[in-house]
Amino acid sequence: MKPANEMSQWVIRGSAVVGAAIILSGATPSLAQESVSVRAAMITGTLPADDPNAAEWNSAPLAQFPMSPQVHWQNRIQEVTVKDLKIRALHDGTQIAILLEYADPTENPDDAAALEFMVGDKKAHFAHGQPMAQVEGGPVNIWFWKNKENKAVDMSAKGFGTLKAQGHQDVKAKGVYVNGTWKVVFSRSLVNEHVDEDVQVKPGEFINIAFAVWDGRKDAAGDLVEKGSQKAVSSWWYFRADPPPDYSGYLYAAMAIALAVGFQFVLIRKLKKGKSA
Amino acid sequence: MGASLGKPIILTVLIYLFLKLIVPNIPGSAPLPSNLIFLYLMLTISGIVIFATLSGESKDAFWGPIQRFLTGETVGGLQMLRYAVLILFPLLVGWETYTSTTPSDQPPAENRTIHPAPPGEYTGLSNPVAKTPDNIMQGKGFYAAFCSPCHGGQFDGKGPAARGFNPPPANFSDPTTIAMLQESYLFWRIKKGGVGLPIEGMPWKSAMPRWEVELPDEWIWKIIMGEYDGAHQSPRTWE
Repeated sequence: MKPANEMSQWVIRGSAVVGAAIILSGATPSLAQESVSVRAAMITGTLPADDPNAAEWNSAPLAQFPMSPQVHWQNRIQEVTVKDLKIRALHDGTQIAILLEYADPTENPDDAAALEFMVGDKKAHFAHGQPMAQVEGGPVNIWFWKNKENKAVDMSAKGFGTLKAQGHQDVKAKGVYVNGTWKVVFSRSLVNEHVDEDVQVKPGEFINIAFAVWDGRKDAAGDLVEKGSQKAVSSWWYFRADPPPDYSGYLYAAMAIALAVGFQFVLIRKLKKGKSA
Repeated sequence: MGASLGKPIILTVLIYLFLKLIVPNIPGSAPLPSNLIFLYLMLTISGIVIFATLSGESKDAFWGPIQRFLTGETVGGLQMLRYAVLILFPLLVGWETYTSTTPSDQPPAENRTIHPAPPGEYTGLSNPVAKTPDNIMQGKGFYAAFCSPCHGGQFDGKGPAARGFNPPPANFSDPTTIAMLQESYLFWRIKKGGVGLPIEGMPWKSAMPRWEVELPDEWIWKIIMGEYDGAHQSPRTWE
């Protein structure tokens, strides 16, 4: 009995250590941090493209991004109203809808917000795709919304002073102001034929997104405080529309389990036979 | 009989603890990636198996307990553990397969080089401005006006405009930023800004302005002096 006990102790200790080693060496702790990407969840029903308050938005994962006053190029601004943006996104396999939500104490006709995307494979600087010294940059696609018109303008830029509305307007937007909060929803088809000017959202692929917000309040002299380049901005973050569900991982796992069970069965049978022989 | 299995187990554990806890604390070292630790442990175990199977006697002493455990003979109170191992092993294999074949929903990893090599014309330049208290003071004034909104009044990268930018503005009081760099490197970075970075520096993400369009060179050299003085750092030199 003693050898069995001794052995059992070793085996218990050994397996505990091996288990711990596997866990410790394989596990990488995922630390909680602010968002680095927006995830557009896929839904089967109607996309709430016209309704920033629709219940469907609750099923979209929330991403949160800090905003900075635009100090990168002239004309700068040192302080802005909007310091954080909440972003949610949904798609239905055809259309994409992106919801911006932010606190703004006053509703003004010149309140405005914009999304910016890189277009194509070339990297573009977040400041309107301005030229870079050592890297050939690409254009950006900007979806701009202003309270006054309460609609979107689909724009392109490649460098300062090149921002212009596109000949084809493919983006829709609608803003709703309630209790000191703006909710603005932008929508468009995931992909379209204007591949050189418009961002193409292919489910499963990460693309780059940046944000801008203007508080349309006026100072004592009646001039807009935030206008043009004087706005709240972010640099690039990631955006991805969820791919359609893929269950192949479960199939591969089931096959691997079957193989492992078979291996164990054969091994133990072989060992038992070897013993009796 | 147990000792023949005990020694290898103790050896494996000691090597694991050495790699995990001691190696990262050796000066100049860093924590080992988990796949490297796994590789080292596999090498250790392979070595042990080869060593244990050199002679017929040592082979029996080594494999005997394992065989008896797996076949369920004379395992006594370990029967439950045996079942647990036989169930957990396939599940672990299944889990590993699932996690390695499922496409990741994490954004692509970014290997951004924080201090990439400057163009040739910006290496080895010396500061042409005399290091006088007046010039340092003036440099700090320019710093307060142009740089502190992002890099912070305390030179810590925590200015009021810093929060929305990714990558974050450099913290000059950190010994791994300007203390590791020469003055001519800072001159290049301030003059050409984020858009002057090579591809490995990911210029499209940087909010650093291209100050050459707004500030004369002399101001930039004075700002550099003010930064080192204010952050209590010294520029790197070749001496």
